[in-house]
Amino acid sequence: MDFDPSPEQRQRAASIRTAAGGLPRPERGTPAGRDLWEAAGKIGVTGLCLPADCGGGGLGALDTALALEAFRAGGADTGHSFGIAAHLLACGTVLAEHAHEPVRAELLRGLAAGTTIAANAMTEDEAGSDLSRLATTAVADGDSYVLNGVKSFVSNGPLADVVVTYAVTSPEAGYLGLSVFAVRTGSPGFRAGPALDKAGLAGCAAARVEFAGCRVPRSHLIGSEGQGSAIFQGSMAWERACLPAIYLGAMQEQLDQCLAHCRQRRQFGRRIGDFQAVAHRLATMRRRLESSRLLLYRACWLIDRDSPGAGEAVALAKVAVTEAAIANGVDAARLSGAQGYLAGAGVGSHLQDAVPLHIFSGTTDIQQEIIARGMGL
Amino acid sequence: MTAMQEREEIAAKLLAFIRNSFLAGDPQGELTGDTPLLALGILNSLNTATLIAYTQEEFGVKVPLHDVSPENFKSVDSLSSMVHERRSTADA
Repeated sequence: MDFDPSPEQRQRAASIRTAAGGLPRPERGTPAGRDLWEAAGKIGVTGLCLPADCGGGGLGALDTALALEAFRAGGADTGHSFGIAAHLLACGTVLAEHAHEPVRAELLRGLAAGTTIAANAMTEDEAGSDLSRLATTAVADGDSYVLNGVKSFVSNGPLADVVVTYAVTSPEAGYLGLSVFAVRTGSPGFRAGPALDKAGLAGCAAARVEFAGCRVPRSHLIGSEGQGSAIFQGSMAWERACLPAIYLGAMQEQLDQCLAHCRQRRQFGRRIGDFQAVAHRLATMRRRLESSRLLLYRACWLIDRDSPGAGEAVALAKVAVTEAAIANGVDAARLSGAQGYLAGAGVGSHLQDAVPLHIFSGTTDIQQEIIARGMGL
Repeated sequence: MTAMQEREEIAAKLLAFIRNSFLAGDPQGELTGDTPLLALGILNSLNTATLIAYTQEEFGVKVPLHDVSPENFKSVDSLSSMVHERRSTADA
């Protein structure tokens, strides 16, 4: 058992962290634009785990998580980091592992460079955790499939060039009757709605997207018909494990800021960090961060070994990071006092960005169910 | 043990697992080898993942992505055939 990152992992993380510190951040409340995506591409973040032969970094899950954590810890916006992680983990991994040539190579080069932005379209108004209720359909017609339906909460939707889209191709096959397509957003019949007004993660625009007789070439079917559910579960293993790493970076930044504040601010003639109640709150924040970090690293390590226990480990890690990020967000607000409650202070946005961890990439309730079933319940 | 006996043994274990795990014991005894698991919604995302984990552990077979298909998971009979085939291939 070796808990030390290798010299290569340290160097990569340090270099990404430094480069992230030099990136501009999107204006408060606005999503990252293409210039920021391309800047992230130049430091390799948009292609971390994509194949090296397509311009990616060829990294495994643990190295990808370490890099995403460093990117956010270095100062990148949480929403933008989230958008990049979704692009990379829910879309890039799917295209890399299952798309047919030449679609695979054509799209992946742009994804890795950050010049082609990808979005994942699974969720619908009536199909959140229960994928068997999906209503978007794809019907084969000559050399094409024709897609009809509406997807909700599509992260990167307003900006995306390609949407990895799940649709029903065999209704009688229920949950396993789904197929997945790479849909170019310029395709006739495709329309992305306006950016949704979300409570957090403002750096990542999300939208509803509509397919109205949207014709997609057969070559853009990813994998085979009926493989959509299995492909999706594979991508979710990556996303659930690696995406929360950006929150480790955010929590580290938050803890560093809280420590600096508690060392500097004086009340009753003492630094507030000298009060036991405050010091213990900081100790608890650190314990939450470090314990969730260990669970996440272990989950990624198991994915890299294709371990049958990876699914439960990923669920444990995602729940731990979720609870840690939200609890630390509340504690940071208490430590910062009224100044921290001002919009723009950053304390509130940490918390607003953390709350959706309970929802995306499989809700906390679903993760708890996976953990419970893993214990034979 | 003949191939048919092996397949029947696999099917019996799968039926018992699905009854107990997804159908509250199936008190009416409605689940049979050809019950359409997907069409009736018995296999949703969570149940499919649970069944795959059970199958891999109980029968010692790997269920790769291309085997997670409507053809293989449509019923206990089809799943038993797939498991039996994978075990035979592994033994050969």
